[in-house]
Amino acid sequence: MTANGKPQHPPDLSHYHENRLKIPADRLAPYIGLHVAWSPDGCTILTSGEDVQSVLRHLKEAGIDPGQVVHDYIEAPDIVQL
Amino acid sequence: MTMLFRYRLLPVSRPPVALGGRWVRPKPLITTSLIGPTNTWISDGLLDTGADDTVFSEDAADVLGLDLTNARRGSGLGLGLATLSLRFAEVTIRLTDGREQREWLGWVGFTPTKLRRSILGFGGFLQFFTATFHGDREQVELTTNSFYRGK
Repeated sequence: MTANGKPQHPPDLSHYHENRLKIPADRLAPYIGLHVAWSPDGCTILTSGEDVQSVLRHLKEAGIDPGQVVHDYIEAPDIVQL
Repeated sequence: MTMLFRYRLLPVSRPPVALGGRWVRPKPLITTSLIGPTNTWISDGLLDTGADDTVFSEDAADVLGLDLTNARRGSGLGLGLATLSLRFAEVTIRLTDGREQREWLGWVGFTPTKLRRSILGFGGFLQFFTATFHGDREQVELTTNSFYRGK
């Protein structure tokens, strides 16, 4: 939310998916099993945590609006999701 | 009227037996925005034809500025047979594939149970689309149907 109390416009996600696909596995390895917040361009993990509340706390501490990031979870490889 | 989403390719450290030696596992993960009274919640959700409802965590509801105090209540049963309590709110859901954008009002269940990912199920989401899953191309096509009343 902005300082005047109005919600910010949602961020531009037009390159998010394309850039996410380019992230190599070794860059994701430190985040396996964690919730993460991605930059809207899909290039950078801004923060991570054991649960969403931790991520939200870290975003707040960094002064980042939780509505301006993409929330995701980095799955452990080799675990079959049913 | 059709949006096209490529499956997300999740790396694996051992090739999945059923996928013939590949080093990735494809999944229909779609980036979805919920727009609430005070903010937006953007997350990568799993498109799940086996899920009756669309489900997000209550953390998302807090960020969106939704008051769930008097929300309609429900419950759900996960594959692990754990029961999820749900509180429903009608929110704006926005979806884009980078070329087309759709935005509609849909009912979303919010749960206090910790979810790894939001679930994009029938109620609130898939009910408004004809979904074609191309296993060979690892893409999913979403075309609005006659139930769709959004922009």
